Amino acid sequence: MKKVLTTCEFCGCGCNFYLGVEEGKVISVYPSVSHPVSQGKLCIKGWQGHEYIHSPERVKTPLIKEGRKFREASWNEAYQLITNKFNQIRTRYGNDSIAVLSSAKCTNEENYLMQKFARACLGTNNVDHCARLCHASTVIGLNTTFGSGAMTNSIDEIEGADVIFIIGSNTTEQHPLIGDRVLRAIKNGAKVIVADPRESQLAKLCSLYMMLEPGSDVALLNGIMNLIISERLEDKEFIAERTEGFESLKRTVADYTPDKSSGLTGIPEEKIIKAARIYAQSKKSVIIYAMGITQHTTGVDNVMSCANLAMLTGNVGKKFTGVNPLRGQNNVQGACDMGAVPNIFPGYQAVTDEKIRAKFEKAWGVNLPTQPGLTIIEMLNSALEGNVKTIYIMGENPMLSDPDINHVEEALKALDFLVVQDIFLTETASLADVVLPGVSFAEKDGTFTSTERRIQRVRKAIEPLGASKPDWQVIDELSSLLGYPMSYDTPAEIMDEIARLTPIYGGVNYRRLVEEGLQWPCPTLDHPGTPYLHKGSFSRGLGKFCPANYRLPAELPDDAYPFVLTTGRVGFHYHTGTMTRKDWALDREYPSSYVEINSQDAKELGIRNRQVAKVISRRGEISLSAKLVDTIKKGVVFIPFHFAEAAANKLTAANLDPVAKIPEYKVCAVRLERG
Amino acid sequence: MNKNIYAPDLAVINKVRDEAEGIKTFTLEFEDGKLKESFDYCPGQFIELTIVGVGEAPISITSSPVNKGYLELSVAAVGKLTRALHLKKAGEFVGLRGPYGNGFAFEKIKGKSVLFVGGGIGLAPLRSLINQLFAYRDNFGKIDILYGARTPGLLCFMDDIEKWGKLKNSEVLLSVDVPDDKWQDNVGVVGSLLPKIELAIENTVAFVCGPPIMIHFVILDLLKMGFGEEQIITTMERRMECGLGKCGHCNIGKSYVCLDGPVFSYQQLKELGENI
Amino acid sequence: MKILDKTKLSQFLEGLGREFQVIAPLHEGKDILFGEFNASKLASDYIGKTRLSPKEYLFPQKEKLFTFEENKAIEIKAHLDETKRVIWGIRPCDLSGIKILSEVYLSDYIDPYYQARKANILLLGLNCNEAEQSCFCSSLGIGPFAQEGFDLLFTDLGDTFLVEIGSKAGENLIEQAANLFTNAVSKDEEQARLLEEKSKKTFRTSIDLEKTKAKIATALDNHVWDEEAGKCILCGGCNWVCPTCHCFNVEDINAEHKTQRVRYWDSCQLGGFTQMAAYNSRVTQAERLRQRIYHKFSYNPDRYKGQIGCTGCGRCIDVCPAGIDITYILGRVANE
Repeated sequence: MKKVLTTCEFCGCGCNFYLGVEEGKVISVYPSVSHPVSQGKLCIKGWQGHEYIHSPERVKTPLIKEGRKFREASWNEAYQLITNKFNQIRTRYGNDSIAVLSSAKCTNEENYLMQKFARACLGTNNVDHCARLCHASTVIGLNTTFGSGAMTNSIDEIEGADVIFIIGSNTTEQHPLIGDRVLRAIKNGAKVIVADPRESQLAKLCSLYMMLEPGSDVALLNGIMNLIISERLEDKEFIAERTEGFESLKRTVADYTPDKSSGLTGIPEEKIIKAARIYAQSKKSVIIYAMGITQHTTGVDNVMSCANLAMLTGNVGKKFTGVNPLRGQNNVQGACDMGAVPNIFPGYQAVTDEKIRAKFEKAWGVNLPTQPGLTIIEMLNSALEGNVKTIYIMGENPMLSDPDINHVEEALKALDFLVVQDIFLTETASLADVVLPGVSFAEKDGTFTSTERRIQRVRKAIEPLGASKPDWQVIDELSSLLGYPMSYDTPAEIMDEIARLTPIYGGVNYRRLVEEGLQWPCPTLDHPGTPYLHKGSFSRGLGKFCPANYRLPAELPDDAYPFVLTTGRVGFHYHTGTMTRKDWALDREYPSSYVEINSQDAKELGIRNRQVAKVISRRGEISLSAKLVDTIKKGVVFIPFHFAEAAANKLTAANLDPVAKIPEYKVCAVRLERG
Repeated sequence: MNKNIYAPDLAVINKVRDEAEGIKTFTLEFEDGKLKESFDYCPGQFIELTIVGVGEAPISITSSPVNKGYLELSVAAVGKLTRALHLKKAGEFVGLRGPYGNGFAFEKIKGKSVLFVGGGIGLAPLRSLINQLFAYRDNFGKIDILYGARTPGLLCFMDDIEKWGKLKNSEVLLSVDVPDDKWQDNVGVVGSLLPKIELAIENTVAFVCGPPIMIHFVILDLLKMGFGEEQIITTMERRMECGLGKCGHCNIGKSYVCLDGPVFSYQQLKELGENI
Repeated sequence: MKILDKTKLSQFLEGLGREFQVIAPLHEGKDILFGEFNASKLASDYIGKTRLSPKEYLFPQKEKLFTFEENKAIEIKAHLDETKRVIWGIRPCDLSGIKILSEVYLSDYIDPYYQARKANILLLGLNCNEAEQSCFCSSLGIGPFAQEGFDLLFTDLGDTFLVEIGSKAGENLIEQAANLFTNAVSKDEEQARLLEEKSKKTFRTSIDLEKTKAKIATALDNHVWDEEAGKCILCGGCNWVCPTCHCFNVEDINAEHKTQRVRYWDSCQLGGFTQMAAYNSRVTQAERLRQRIYHKFSYNPDRYKGQIGCTGCGRCIDVCPAGIDITYILGRVANE
């Protein structure tokens, strides 16, 4: 049996394990004891979630749609069709009539190539990926306040914290190995504060739990800051030396007395006061947040308020502190780092910056588009308006992951031509004109960058199944056929190019990426990597307080739709379930969807446990089993979005944060009926 | 080499009968003539049924060993395998291995009166024993059969029930939770039939089988009536992957339902220390 | 008793390779994992234990049971692994684990897959000169030096291994490589005895087995189940790393006109373990946690001649992201 060390393909924790391979098949898993994150442990997905690799449902040859059905095709034929169509569309409608969606599941090298393909080969900045849907607000919010849009500190530091403030993260379920650090911190005596509309596992184990109204995060954070300032608990020295804009913050939060904050959030005043004192009185206070903060029309405000709180108390730029967004997908950090977004080149270098653009033009040998391109939701809207004519999607499933699926479907159907590259015939791939078979993480080399900015190797354990090809190779070949030659032999070569053009990855190469990888920024070959950011000074120089006023979510409950729907995940499934639902153990835990509802609400509606309920929003309706709990706020219901047959995103609205364009998955209005 | 304990033998479906709403009865015969002759079992035992490509599941035998040469299985389409089985037609093949489990202690209850309390598809394993008792009618005292289901359409084995009711020194009472227009019998949970029969409790053994919640309440009723814990016999359903005491799924206390059960007295169940 | 110079271990294992597939602890990157012998990777002086025990050479994580040939309705091709195999470097806890597994798989109905592997395997143990933080095998009378269950047993004496013969098959291995071994003298055996005494003093974790046995029957309602289960994140790790967990799940996998029946390690800590179409007999995590501990300390001994189903290896403690510790739980059981 061959054993191949690699990086987990599920969440952003970035655990490492060995895949056991026999007769060309993955048959076993061994966690890496020496790895700094996994430390010989894994979650159920890491232990058990790799069955999908050999699923009989894998797409193993290119598929071309004829009539309403797919037929198998050769690579040549598929490439020919795509190049003809792309060339026709480009000639007729211009470069910006094409858009590409890159993938947070794919490697850094593939994301780099995909944005290069869009920009250098197709001549458009229309490239985005699902970070838009999870942490676009983080990238902008933390970039504005700190100058870097990433998790400030390292996973291992959480264990050493005295106070951990978790807001909008179900950590043990969604980032289990980070949850592990929180549990250890609790054992070490740390105080943990949890704010969430659902009483998560950590909410039950923590010192202070605040059940808040969905979308009232700014009101809570401002209330906490108000008390800190009124009790003079702020870190005056830190504020004076390291930050700017304090006075404006002070003015804004002055309005949010704990009493007012309590009214807006539904949290008892004394809890807000207690939380503020606990957080402010420690010099080792960590903030952890996830999509409960980011997926709002106020996502950027929420993120900036977290940053404000950390700066106010000097809990950033030091070990055991920081503002720590937990990135959802294995390589969503990397996909952002690689510039698979419409406005930046790799390394967060703006496409509108002429000097930067000149650097890339020189390196890539072409003229590059000067204006930022379209974000995911904008691409779809533009498709409906008839401007975007074709989309090339790699490893994403917007037909399940994007808000308001009925709208997504209309948009994708309005396209002249849709290319989807995936390992399964997903809901999205089914709509494609051409499907290109990519490969799983076990069939290719590359790197993923975890939520703590750790760049780690993914190593090929088995050969690509059937005629499938590593995604980087497909982009390389397609680009060459479209007249922009790429001729990479290995992902290592691509990483060398990334390092040349991306200062934060400047010192990275495959020879250095041994077991534990490197944490960026790693600007030079002799740089050891950076466990925590903003030491001594912020990436932008001074940290900038960016006060925000509380704004209501875009769609509020009313008489017709009296409940707030908040969406999310379960620990056993991953994203749109294309991988995890093919695994017996994971599927056995959650074979189907459910709506979590407060037992009292259910009683009033006459809905019994496990009975079918209909959930209806202004955009659609789904039927699913009711799960009665006492751990969700009254008036709020929760639905996981993994399940195509009861797709939560048929209900959600594409209400966007005005800056980050992230949809408000965490709040929309619904009504419930007995099914 | 000994036979692989996990390998099923081929059996053909001879007949498929609609038993009740969502419930079908399958008559099966082993393909191998010798096996067909030699296959023997006790009421209360189960077999592992394979549908190739779908999997395997334990299913209790509802036919009676007095009828040689074939097996009957009555199955509600509730899970992956049972739904696949419902799509099978006469002439198609399945895999079988078994019989497994302890079965009902037929010899031990000779000379006694017997009370059966069944709910829904839970009558399936009891039917196997009931038909065996009637085949050896003289060895037993009074036989009472109380049978209930949620609706009249969910009552199984109506042909048998009609026949049993006509046999001497036996009584059959039916009940449903939700009656239809034509329903003339009792309405209520099956336990509500208990006061309607005359029992010589000291010399009666009660067999209870049905959904867990029904078993739970019927046992409470029986205890209240004065039945001893050892006089109440039930059969347990558990997830199983092997039927052979290896896969661990059906472990309750020190027992494996597949080896030491599925038939347990209430007394034994209590000693296992876990929820029923 | 024999003596093998440490420098000759590779040569000995290499020699075995002519007849056997040789499995040994190997350096993989910074980790140590059991794998096919390779002299350059051999971790001959590893301390403590590998994250997974070598159990999988008898009961693999994923195992094909048979292939159904499609042409006829059922035609079965069974996949028995009869590879002749030697494992070197098995810790006393893991030797004991194999003994416990064998009770399950080779009694009543005989599992042909386990049997085929077991009949063709030789177990070469390696005593522990030092316990790890989580080790508590000494509380169970299993280690740090093995008493039984080996074909050969190695003790690290520094420059040499003292080799104890545990079976005729083990003796044969030595005879075939007689030139590599010398006879042990009483001094060597004395040194081993001293090492064992020294090793016993390195244990930092223990349980009170007698008290546990006496109290476990009445601990069903102990609060410890609820308290500890509340932390469980449902990874199943305690089961996956356990050298005695024998539970499995069976799935039919359809691929290219053939169906394979495959079994996988399963975890009793998952709700799905007892899930049936419409009913689950263990709905709370507390019940599931209790099941794991009771299976080892109550059900297994009740069923298999008093044999405790735990080896004291402590892997379930090391692997748990929630810090659930079997020795803490047993302490609560024993003392409440």
